[in-house]
Amino acid sequence: MEPGAFELNTSVSNLRHLRASDLGPYDAVYLGNIYCRRYEGNPLERPTELREAIRLVRAEGRRAYLTTYATPRNDTLPVLRAALAVAVAEGAAAVEVHSLGLVKLVRDEFPELPIHVGNFTNVYTSAGVEVLEGFGVARITPASELPLDEIDAIGRAGGIPLELVVHGKLPLGVSEFCVLLDYERTWGVPCPELCQREVFLRKEAWGLKSVGKGILSGRDVCLLEHLPRLVAAGHRHFRVEAVSESPEYRRAVGATYREALVRALAGDGWLEARWWETLAAHSRLGLANGFAFGRSGMDYVGTEAPSTTEWRAR
Amino acid sequence: MATLLAPAGSPEAIHAALEAGADAVYVGLKGWSRGGARGELDRDELARAVRQAAERGAELQLALNTIPKPRERAALLAEIPGLTALGIRTLIVNDVGVLATLRRRFPELSLTASIGCGAQTVADVAFFREIGADAIVLPGTVGPAEAAECAAVGGITVEVMLHMVEEFVLLGKCAMPSYVHLKPTAMPGGLPDVMRQTGSMKRGGVGACFRICQEPWELSTADGHRAAQLFPSRQLSRLGDVPGYLAAGVGVLKLQGRSLPPEQLEPLVARYRRAIDAARAAARLPAFPEPVLPPSWTVVGR
Repeated sequence: MEPGAFELNTSVSNLRHLRASDLGPYDAVYLGNIYCRRYEGNPLERPTELREAIRLVRAEGRRAYLTTYATPRNDTLPVLRAALAVAVAEGAAAVEVHSLGLVKLVRDEFPELPIHVGNFTNVYTSAGVEVLEGFGVARITPASELPLDEIDAIGRAGGIPLELVVHGKLPLGVSEFCVLLDYERTWGVPCPELCQREVFLRKEAWGLKSVGKGILSGRDVCLLEHLPRLVAAGHRHFRVEAVSESPEYRRAVGATYREALVRALAGDGWLEARWWETLAAHSRLGLANGFAFGRSGMDYVGTEAPSTTEWRAR
Repeated sequence: MATLLAPAGSPEAIHAALEAGADAVYVGLKGWSRGGARGELDRDELARAVRQAAERGAELQLALNTIPKPRERAALLAEIPGLTALGIRTLIVNDVGVLATLRRRFPELSLTASIGCGAQTVADVAFFREIGADAIVLPGTVGPAEAAECAAVGGITVEVMLHMVEEFVLLGKCAMPSYVHLKPTAMPGGLPDVMRQTGSMKRGGVGACFRICQEPWELSTADGHRAAQLFPSRQLSRLGDVPGYLAAGVGVLKLQGRSLPPEQLEPLVARYRRAIDAARAAARLPAFPEPVLPPSWTVVGR
């Protein structure tokens, strides 16, 4: 990567959301929904729509990445092979996998496709990175639970670039059951529309977001004021996690981070008040740092963000 | 021939499991086990347990299934020669990097990729075979037909956890506890400056994952819907599928529950022993006093 260069990417679950999204702030887009085969228009299940999505992303001058299911089973593998074949044919730049088996499958059957290892693959150690290096992996998103100091150490030790989620709802868990299907009748909202409603799980001060088979952090993980630290540590691949977000969230948050990253890489760590206003406007339960500083994933470490108290008052 | 691999978290539980007919028993080593402090043995207990199992013609396997932080890794590897000197031959590990490192440095060991590695497919089985695992543990949610496909990969023993708690979030795919609460505690086993996180299942909590998935939550939507929500969780027993798993070529039938007291572990192991023996004799599954497993046999505090 050239000096001063970086990649900011995001995630989009289907063609409808992709068409509605402004990809201007981004260099690359992960296509597909990792949680559910029944997600509306999931391109992992629809080769024609996947083909169109990749073409659309590439036509805008962005790199198209395919993502894959977080918990594949044997009967999912033929579906994923079909999607991978489309990705290769249409010039997708990489595939993200969340299971170690798919690392081997892609290497053996689709060797032309660079492999990005996703956070649900559970890469916790530099020894794990070494193993994946042997499989030709091109990039790794470390496990969500890792603090930044360990991530930095893994980055220094390994030969594979790391990708970090700098903003968005952190993926916390995957299930084979959908908790929302029970409400189809009582709420009068059918699947697959159900999980696209903003559904939160609350208990006292805790908040989680449900996407049916997936549990995400309720608060938006935000590393905006820590970007200078990330670039100083050598990280250059960043993600705005927006798989369950609106096109407007994707655009506004992405634009904020692109501007902030350009500044951070130029050695300017100044934070604009309007950036916080934008992030605040798009966060329902407030901000957190995930596990970046070795504390509870709900905590926010820093001084610049509006306090949780302010958020509760919203 | 498939073997029955039972859990144990104390010397008394090891005795109970062996009495009940386990072919092998797995235990945790204090400080290095994902099961947490309540189900771990210290080194003296471990040495006695190896002898205890050997006297019954059974194997004692050791779970070293935390994922060590960088500074803990050397300490973990330094433990291994002492463990092999005790007679330990099989280690159960939870991190792909640890597994590969152990494979290189201790080629004489048999290495099992823990259920926490998240393997569920033929592709996963092939991956772990390639990096040198001798066995891989599938969850009991993988039925006999899928297990048969996995066993057909060959070159690696497929184990299935036939008795386990099936929680809403899949094992190896959960960071919920540490999102809500992360409380480092002192690491037992002589590592004074090393803390381990109680909220992290992968990192080896002290048995407290907080089970926040079993708390009552309020589900709400922006458009005004409200509901009380519990995440489904159930005790999974594949007792009736024992013949199917044996026919599938599964090499090890494994039970979860290192925290179970001996009085609950013994009948659990005995029940699976009888089911395996009946299946081998092509006999009907024995009738048990209770039609279903007692709720108290739910594996707690992993």
